[in-house]
Amino acid sequence: MTGNRAAAPEGAVRTTVDWQGWTACVAAVAGFVLCLLGWLAGGGGFSVPWAPSLDLRLSFTFDGLSALYGLLATGVGALVFAYGTRYLTEHLEHQRRPMLERWRFWPWMLLFALSMVGLATAQDLVLVFVFFDLTAVCSYFLIGFDRSDREARTSALMAMLVTVVAAVAMLIAAVVLYAVHGTFSIPELLARADSSATTTLAGALLAVAALAKSAQVPLHFWLPKAMAAPTPVSAYLHSAAMVAAGVLVIGRVHPLLARSEAVLTGMLVVGAVSVVVGGVLALRRDRLKQVLAYSTISQYGYIVMMYGIGGKEGTGAAAFYVLAHGVAKSALFMTAGAVTSATGQDRLSELGGLGRRMPVLAVASGVAAATLAALPLTVGFFKDELFFKAALAHGPVTAVLSVLAAVLTFAYIGRFWTTLFLGPPRGEVGTRSGLLVAPVVVMAAVAVAGGVVAEPFTRLAEDAAAVSAGGPVDLSPAYHLDARPENLMALAAWALGVLVLLLPRVTGRVSRAVAVAGERWGPKRAYEVVLHGLDRLSTVLHDREVRDLRTSIAAVLVPAGLLIGLAFAATPTAGAYVVGTVAGADWMILPLLVLVVVTTVVIARSRSRMAVALALAVVGFALAAQYALLGAPDVALVAVVVETMLTLVFVAALSRMPHDEPVPDPAIPLRKRRRKDALSGAVAGLAVFVSVWGFLSQPAPSSVSDEHIRLTPEAHGGDVVTVIVADFRGLDTLVEITVLLAAVAGAATLIRRGKLW
Amino acid sequence: MVSPGESDETPDSMVRVVARRLPGPSLMVAAALIAKGYAEVGDGFAAGVIVALAIALVYVALGGEAAEAALPLLRHAPKLAVGGLLLALASGFFPLALGEPPVSHRPAPGEHVVKIGVLELFTPLLFDIGVFLLVVGVLTILLHHLARPRGEARR
Repeated sequence: MTGNRAAAPEGAVRTTVDWQGWTACVAAVAGFVLCLLGWLAGGGGFSVPWAPSLDLRLSFTFDGLSALYGLLATGVGALVFAYGTRYLTEHLEHQRRPMLERWRFWPWMLLFALSMVGLATAQDLVLVFVFFDLTAVCSYFLIGFDRSDREARTSALMAMLVTVVAAVAMLIAAVVLYAVHGTFSIPELLARADSSATTTLAGALLAVAALAKSAQVPLHFWLPKAMAAPTPVSAYLHSAAMVAAGVLVIGRVHPLLARSEAVLTGMLVVGAVSVVVGGVLALRRDRLKQVLAYSTISQYGYIVMMYGIGGKEGTGAAAFYVLAHGVAKSALFMTAGAVTSATGQDRLSELGGLGRRMPVLAVASGVAAATLAALPLTVGFFKDELFFKAALAHGPVTAVLSVLAAVLTFAYIGRFWTTLFLGPPRGEVGTRSGLLVAPVVVMAAVAVAGGVVAEPFTRLAEDAAAVSAGGPVDLSPAYHLDARPENLMALAAWALGVLVLLLPRVTGRVSRAVAVAGERWGPKRAYEVVLHGLDRLSTVLHDREVRDLRTSIAAVLVPAGLLIGLAFAATPTAGAYVVGTVAGADWMILPLLVLVVVTTVVIARSRSRMAVALALAVVGFALAAQYALLGAPDVALVAVVVETMLTLVFVAALSRMPHDEPVPDPAIPLRKRRRKDALSGAVAGLAVFVSVWGFLSQPAPSSVSDEHIRLTPEAHGGDVVTVIVADFRGLDTLVEITVLLAAVAGAATLIRRGKLW
Repeated sequence: MVSPGESDETPDSMVRVVARRLPGPSLMVAAALIAKGYAEVGDGFAAGVIVALAIALVYVALGGEAAEAALPLLRHAPKLAVGGLLLALASGFFPLALGEPPVSHRPAPGEHVVKIGVLELFTPLLFDIGVFLLVVGVLTILLHHLARPRGEARR
């Protein structure tokens, strides 16, 4: 770790109470209480116009799904924040950073929690998108909190790019649905959408955005990298925020997804692959947080599978699973943080036998691990019971997959806990902090309470699933002491899990092979290749553009010309490109145009700079005269005075140029360069010629200018141009005059290092 | 003629006298353009460029240093430019504070407006004056920089 010594002299590193963190914690507790009251009161909502011209509304409803994710985000949030007050202080002390940097942490954490609650309650697809991306922005700053660490910075960027780029799919889906149904409101969309290709497309797009967020294969690779974040961030991100946001969106729009069998099957497959890939990779990771990160991929794979199974059983089991997993995973991450904080080690191979030295933590995290492994007397048992039940109902293949998933979970979490807390002692235990253990104990207590009395969990999951399934859901998890299939599946999973635990060599080989294959051909590699390719392309373009003045100009003119040409190729040309007749005042304009042509040729051929400047002035004055002839005295006046000023400034600027001839680049022969210049000029010129001709042949029938002329007297004006500039297009003018000042500041910078006078 | 500081040939005295006297009348023309702008040809921008042209003539006729000695007010050009921009922005965005879209008028369209001749007293007038001040200021700054001999810029 890189300490920033310069920023933190000895005196500055003083342990003070982290009141920012405690404030965040209190806010989270208050949020939890509010969510609880809201849930018990049966919810409610409001909807106010946001951008009426775009049909956007700020519509929020607190329903069952909101209650589940709201309680999760605030409840886990409160504990993680309390844990974080201690952890962050140690972290900053350790890196010799000033305590002031708490300000770069807690506001983002709080915003993280807030945007999760916002996402859980939002009922407008665009609003959902906004909150969805807000969590990504928060995660970017939190993962990159150790900004002097290159690893942290690239991880933060990766998390943001993968999730935000995928989130664009959600926006596209919103637009597609709006185009068909005319609303962004989710309840209305769910009511109106039918089984059609459009619904399938929109559903698939929504699923892509959600699956990337929930770190599902093949867009899973950002999550293990994101462990560069401080532990409280990881704990929160993996259990109740960010990753949970993905499945939250799936739960929210599930009735829409369920209209298409293809989307459901796709989710089932992606979920199953994620379960296996995440689980197998978690089996042999060495770093504590990496084991847990791959475990998260696998666990959310379960949830996505269940949403893929769908129906009342699938969505109910998924909702229950989110809850149980959130409790267990946050506790396990906080365990990893507490162990690393006490021993200074973050690898399983360096640690062992901590059970006797940290007994409280061992028991509490043992409960959390048991919850994940679905042992009885924890809430985790029910999560797998419901999972098995849903899988059985779906079919034999799914059932086998579900047992395989449970085996993997049992094996990797068993290895994690037994290696840490059992066996011969390894690793020195230094100072221990109660505040790093207490939240784990609370979570363990919650897990056991849920294992004894599942009622509150069940009701919460039922209410949430009622939203996803579009009707009341009845879950009845319970202990049954008989040989029903769910129990047999659970027993099989435990037995096989123990077997996998006892055969570390075989599983190690498989896990390593998968990891190597992933490194070599996996999606992370594709991400890196794409990123490097873009980087290289940008460098090549930049080098071409800035070689000299001519290439800089060509870099603007040629693409502009080509784009205009493309636009014309795609536009119907019937009626365009008419050669009109010459009449009246046109006879006075024609000589002026000839003058323009002549001077243009002079400019192109002349070798004297002064001649070029003066010839350009002739072009300008000739055009000004045309405005006067066309009955636009206002424009003519401005054109004349501006042209005069421009010529004067141009000549003055030219006189400051070096007097000797520029030395041509010897690498490129003169003739070749001339030809290139002529080509770029011709492309740009032709494009402008064609576009102006096409436009003038077909003036828009009901032009906006008629409206301008009609409204001018109402704006107290007689002169249309003035009223347009100062009133109808006033906002444009405001921006333009601001640019004026910026331009002169730029000129001053070039001439006199930025002194305005 | 272009960079007067370096040139030995100075324009004849006629040009110099006229140049020095011209900024005053040019202000008058500018005022007329602004005042009549809403009814007839002209606006703050054209007015600003015309005044700047008169100032440019002073620079050309007298040279940079002499011009700034003759018209000491010129050194306030940056303040003029920034002030003008702020005035224009304020006149454009003040309706936001009243909950109306930017660039709304006070008095609103259709309401009674105090008139002095053709001059109507309402907020777009402030906008025009702001643009005028900004243009004069910006162009004077540009002239000031370009009128300096090249050697001085490096110092």
